[in-house]
Amino acid sequence: MKKRLLGMLSFLLVLSMALIGCSSNSSDGGGSKGGGESADGGGTLIYGRGGDSVSLDPAVVTDGESLIIAEQVYETLVNFDKETTDIVPGLAKKWDISEDGLTYTFELEEGIKFHDGTDFNAEAVVKNVERWLTSNDEAKFAYFASQFGGFKGSETAIIKEVKADGDNKVIFTLNKPQAPFLKNLAMSPFAISSPAAIEKYGDKYGENPVGTGPFKFESWKRNDTITLVKNEDYRKDGEPKVDKMIFKVIEDNSSRLNALIKGEVDLIDGLNPSDAEKVKSDKNLQLFERPSLNVGYLGFNVEKEPFNNPKVRQAISHAVNKEALIKNFYEGTAEPAKNPMPPTLNGYNDEVKDYEFDLEKAKKLLAEAGYKDGFKVDLWAMPVPRPYMPNGQKVAEALQADFEKIGVKANIVTMEWATYLEKVQAGESSLFMLGWTGDNGDADNFLYTLLDKDAIGSNNYSRYANEEVHKLLLDAQAETDEAKRAELYKKAQEIIHEDAPWVPLAHSTPLLAGKSTIEGFFPHPTGSQPMGDVSIK
Amino acid sequence: MSEIVEQTQLPPSGPEVNVNQEEKTVSPWVDVWRRFRKNKAALFGAVLVSFFILLAILADLIAPYGFKETALENKHLPPSSDHWFGTDEFGRDIFSRVVYGARISLWVGFISVAGSVIVGSSLGIIAGYYGRWVDTIISRLFDILLAFPSILLAIAVVAMLGPSLQNALIAIAIINVPTFGRLVRSKVLTVKEEEYITAAKAIGMKDSRILLHHVLPNSLAPIIVQGTLAIATAIIEAAALGFLGMGAQPPTPEWGKMLADSKDFIMQAPWTVFFPGIAIMLTVLGFNLMGDGLRDALDPRMRN
Repeated sequence: MKKRLLGMLSFLLVLSMALIGCSSNSSDGGGSKGGGESADGGGTLIYGRGGDSVSLDPAVVTDGESLIIAEQVYETLVNFDKETTDIVPGLAKKWDISEDGLTYTFELEEGIKFHDGTDFNAEAVVKNVERWLTSNDEAKFAYFASQFGGFKGSETAIIKEVKADGDNKVIFTLNKPQAPFLKNLAMSPFAISSPAAIEKYGDKYGENPVGTGPFKFESWKRNDTITLVKNEDYRKDGEPKVDKMIFKVIEDNSSRLNALIKGEVDLIDGLNPSDAEKVKSDKNLQLFERPSLNVGYLGFNVEKEPFNNPKVRQAISHAVNKEALIKNFYEGTAEPAKNPMPPTLNGYNDEVKDYEFDLEKAKKLLAEAGYKDGFKVDLWAMPVPRPYMPNGQKVAEALQADFEKIGVKANIVTMEWATYLEKVQAGESSLFMLGWTGDNGDADNFLYTLLDKDAIGSNNYSRYANEEVHKLLLDAQAETDEAKRAELYKKAQEIIHEDAPWVPLAHSTPLLAGKSTIEGFFPHPTGSQPMGDVSIK
Repeated sequence: MSEIVEQTQLPPSGPEVNVNQEEKTVSPWVDVWRRFRKNKAALFGAVLVSFFILLAILADLIAPYGFKETALENKHLPPSSDHWFGTDEFGRDIFSRVVYGARISLWVGFISVAGSVIVGSSLGIIAGYYGRWVDTIISRLFDILLAFPSILLAIAVVAMLGPSLQNALIAIAIINVPTFGRLVRSKVLTVKEEEYITAAKAIGMKDSRILLHHVLPNSLAPIIVQGTLAIATAIIEAAALGFLGMGAQPPTPEWGKMLADSKDFIMQAPWTVFFPGIAIMLTVLGFNLMGDGLRDALDPRMRN
């Protein structure tokens, strides 16, 4: 008996010591292991991230963890600017667009070699584009099909043909104009591979990537590390600045931060917002904020009762306190959303007046809709942290409390992430939380991709179909005058706001952290960036 | 301990003996209470348990706020006179949630253990009394259940039934069944050889009556001890399931769930983790001390 009591007391003691131990670990962080050694560039940059890549052949993937490697190994014809989604020259030094918007002529940089020593030229570009365009492999090249309307010969295909004119000129002929054509080409899935390497490695190309980028691929230990080394012949003078880059997988957000504090890695993504203060107060660390290009939302299935009634959707919109949600669950690293696209994009409608947080108004609207006593509903919340919503479960719990005040009894439902997406996509849920990160910085990649009737069954999880919106979005795709396009998108946002297929919640700012010795790093809004110009002091 | 042949703990005077019967000399239960009272640690445990039971019953009167009353602007307030235990990230009063949480934890503890006692003892009595193939089947069933680590089995059950407090309760009840089953079975094996059972059989008493009126009452002591200790484990298991998100669902103020929800803020707002943790610890400590005391008190060898 006594022994048992003694055991308990000693357990208590150990527990309290452990707790005390936890609180004093950040004082001597930022050790000297890893990282740069010389004052002037060089060294190894170790990047900690949450998951491994799927494949290193960028054309067959869409996941961010694969694309961030592609950004280092490959280059695209045109690039996004370092900090924005404006288009700047890439492998093509200049380009010419015909009056009708149907012919694009790219003039390529000269004297560039792939990592395997073969020449980069017009023929190589044509071979790459034809690999995607004529594959007809919907499963393998799905992202190509969705961004460029389909494969060669299909009715909706944007690209008609691609031809080389001499060694340094490539001509794209389109079936119809596509306003975001250049932005689509700048996306890293459409980077240029060495045709010789594709042929040589066949099915194994995904493990043996060969491009023209600042780093060469060296080795890949699955679920652990990917090692890249400096491309000595890189076309930009003085780049890359480090000799080696290692991408290391550390799944848990807190352990990844600990690895950074201990100096095992130099740079990490996926920082918990609640850890931002800790990073800021540590003089050995610096905090990076990725400009927001995302939206987290609460979606209604507009085909299901009671959300087939717009009044109910508006009522719920009035019962969401976005400011408080952001303050409590994003630690302030987000701004409230009123439109389905982020405010940095061309065409954002700032005139739209958000549904203010007003429970009385919400109750009134519910009563008008015939739900005076409210109703019961399952609220689906995602099980995993996403860049657009660090903690879906808690946001759901806060929503649940506010909804109860207007008589809506929400039961929070969750399941494994892949199942969750599958079921929401199939329209099984009536009220769900989700979000989207833009891939090319165009309004089309939000409004058309997420809310057009064409996208029902793919990314239009609300199953929202409005003919007027559909027409506006198609017109905007074909319109090449940016000012006119913006008008079309603004109009579409007004209608979407009225119909309220979503409650847009927040545009978050994903956080990254690095050692204070890191220089020249800027997290690109699309989620990944080339790091040839990053150096370690 | 169950293998010890009992020295006629109750007077084997015949079929009419009732365990609660007041006797002219000293009832065995009064005797037990005397011994229990002398054990300071056990008394302390009993006081803790009664305290939490009172807390659970009077939660509506004690808690200053509702357990799901959110006030997002009051996020992570440290303990103060307004919020004795501070607030969580929804601005909810932690003191109120801990008080209401007593209700959940004790409810899970008592009901799940009651369930496993009923099912486990019935199976154990049947196995022990009838023996032969009935015993083999039931005992192997227990062996299979015991082959799984208990929390893993609970997770499997919850995964099948879907996460909810009720299903967690069922899962915990299931994993405790073999413990009680085996305990009762071995007790029955010794009890059924007693002369008074033979006597009962001789006068033609039905099996069901023998089991309920003679075998069961005489196997009660170990069940009580094991039951008290099992409540402690059940509370921990419910908290573990809650912590893993497989037990109570929001906004239920289950202690384990409160710990899980707050673990990210252990640095910024330690009170969000501290108080639910302490509550779990004290309740479990209470039941364990009480269980130990009961074991000593009910052990006939410790009799004066």
